Amino acid sequence: MKRYGAVEAVAGVSLTVEQGEIFALLGPNGAGKTTTLEILEGFRARDAGRVEVLGMDPGERSSGRRLREQIGLVLQDIAVEPYLTVRETLSRSAGYYPAPRDVEQLIELVGLGGKQRQKVKDLSGGQQRRLDLALGMVGNPRLLFLDEPTTGFDPSARRGAWQLVRDLRDSGTTILLTTHYMDEAQTLADRVAVINAGRIVAEGTPESLGGRDTARARIRFTLPEGTSADQLPISARLDSDGAVSVELQEPTEALHRLTGWALQRGLTLPGLVVDRPSLEDVYLQLTGTDSSDSEPAAEGGAPRRGRRRLLSRSGL
Amino acid sequence: MSAAASPATGPPRKRNLTLLVHQVRYEQLSFWRNPQSAFFTFIFPVVVIVIFGAVFNSSKREPFYFGLSGLQYYIPTIAALSVLGACYSQLAIGLAFRRQTGILKRIRATPLPAWAYFAGLMANCVLLSVIEVALIIGIGALYGVPLPSHWAAIILTLVLGAASFCALGVAVASLVRNAEAAPAVVQFILFPLIFLSGTYFPIHSTVLNHIADVFPVRPFNQALLGPFAQHTGFDWNHLGVLLSWGVIGALVAIRRFRWDPRPE
Ligand SMILES: Nc1ncnc2c1ncn2[C@@H]1O[C@H](COP(=O)(O)OP(=O)(O)O)[C@@H](O)[C@H]1O
Ligand SMILES: [Mg+2]
Repeated sequence: MKRYGAVEAVAGVSLTVEQGEIFALLGPNGAGKTTTLEILEGFRARDAGRVEVLGMDPGERSSGRRLREQIGLVLQDIAVEPYLTVRETLSRSAGYYPAPRDVEQLIELVGLGGKQRQKVKDLSGGQQRRLDLALGMVGNPRLLFLDEPTTGFDPSARRGAWQLVRDLRDSGTTILLTTHYMDEAQTLADRVAVINAGRIVAEGTPESLGGRDTARARIRFTLPEGTSADQLPISARLDSDGAVSVELQEPTEALHRLTGWALQRGLTLPGLVVDRPSLEDVYLQLTGTDSSDSEPAAEGGAPRRGRRRLLSRSGL
Repeated sequence: MSAAASPATGPPRKRNLTLLVHQVRYEQLSFWRNPQSAFFTFIFPVVVIVIFGAVFNSSKREPFYFGLSGLQYYIPTIAALSVLGACYSQLAIGLAFRRQTGILKRIRATPLPAWAYFAGLMANCVLLSVIEVALIIGIGALYGVPLPSHWAAIILTLVLGAASFCALGVAVASLVRNAEAAPAVVQFILFPLIFLSGTYFPIHSTVLNHIADVFPVRPFNQALLGPFAQHTGFDWNHLGVLLSWGVIGALVAIRRFRWDPRPE
């Protein structure tokens, strides 16, 4: 738990990140993502709760150096010295770690090849961000924290950064990142926790988050001209604008009846769609940004892999 | 990657020394590449002494300069000024900037121990001070000012002055909230003190001198003037005042220094 004055920035965060996975903390601005991350990184003192990172307490000063040798991080804002070159920036930080990565390889890895001798201040924002990412990786961390790593990236740079993060995971690094992009959480993360107003409101794989995998399907179309809702072969809800929607567990049979009915009469069903709630729907619903739906958040049934507990945190 | 072994490996004693050298090396790089710091803190005192040398080039001893020639008086005061710039101003402004931009926070996230970071900063400042003072003495010699004789007193005074003004620089950086305000705050404190302390022209008012002796700049000037030009050695009274300010600065710095741009 973390309070800033009267604001309870983080009040109900309990999560466990498994070794070797990409875990995304997804939430809107001000949800408490950075605060949570910075408590784990040892920057902020918690007011209450229990935290364990790689078997150590980040609030404990005596083990601080040992912990920092094994973690890497990228802050929400770019923080790099303006007058050093790319190579100097990385070589300097590499000198702080017992087993750093090869600086030249790292420069290539983050796509800054050819920029070794360029001063940091002359790099573009995206390039500085990639240097920042390289700084997070230079110590060969077991655990990497990324606070909104791709905010401000163009689509191709984002894709590049995602691939980099996946490669890191595949080589055994555990990654805890925050994001407010749903597509990032969906495509990148092995598991996602949605945080809103300092509380975790759902947790699970991107597929199952908020009960998405078991949610009901929805058939929608516009009522064909010259027909009325009571003529339809299925019972459906009719909105004032003529849009018809039906929610069902299993849409196959209803769809068959519906299309059969339409064909028989020589009608079409304008705007016909069949879908399930997207991650976006679930997210908007969970974070209360979408006020039209106030169904309580379902706890996602995340399949716990039987790996070693790496980091745990409860009752914050 | 460079062939040099990582400073973070090896036996502890050697490791600490390598780490310190590593730090000073990158502090030097950052310093010389930054035109603002290179100009204002380094070139400026050198330019001042070159101009003063041209203006006060008579070796006539004058009562206005307490029986010294003009340049004999200005060599130590401008040397002191260069230490103020290299230590106090540079650190206060540089650290406020680094904190605001998150650079300090990022350093804090690495295994680099805080002592090594600060030792690197101070060693860098002392190194800059030594180079500057040597340059100023050299320029003085070119203008015909005799070399000083009490080197031990000069070196002790310079080291103590550099350390104290480093501590005060870190203290001011710890107290200012935002980096944009830092240069103004630094100058606002320094400017009146420099004038009051006789750096640019000697002050003959006993009252003003007593007042100025309470602050750190005049004691530093005086403790340098003695061994530089008046053939007196260690000026323990003034060194004591300087040391006290250094301790105050260090205490404030230790209590108030923050790595994080946002207050918690
Ligand atoms: N240093 C601070 N002082 C006061 N309030 C803060 C501070 N840091 C964050 N907050 C507040 O705590 C809440 C969570 O902030 P943050 O963790 O930065 O959210 P996020 O990273 O999800 O955008 C916000 O309401 C924010 O205004
Ligand atoms: Mg944030």
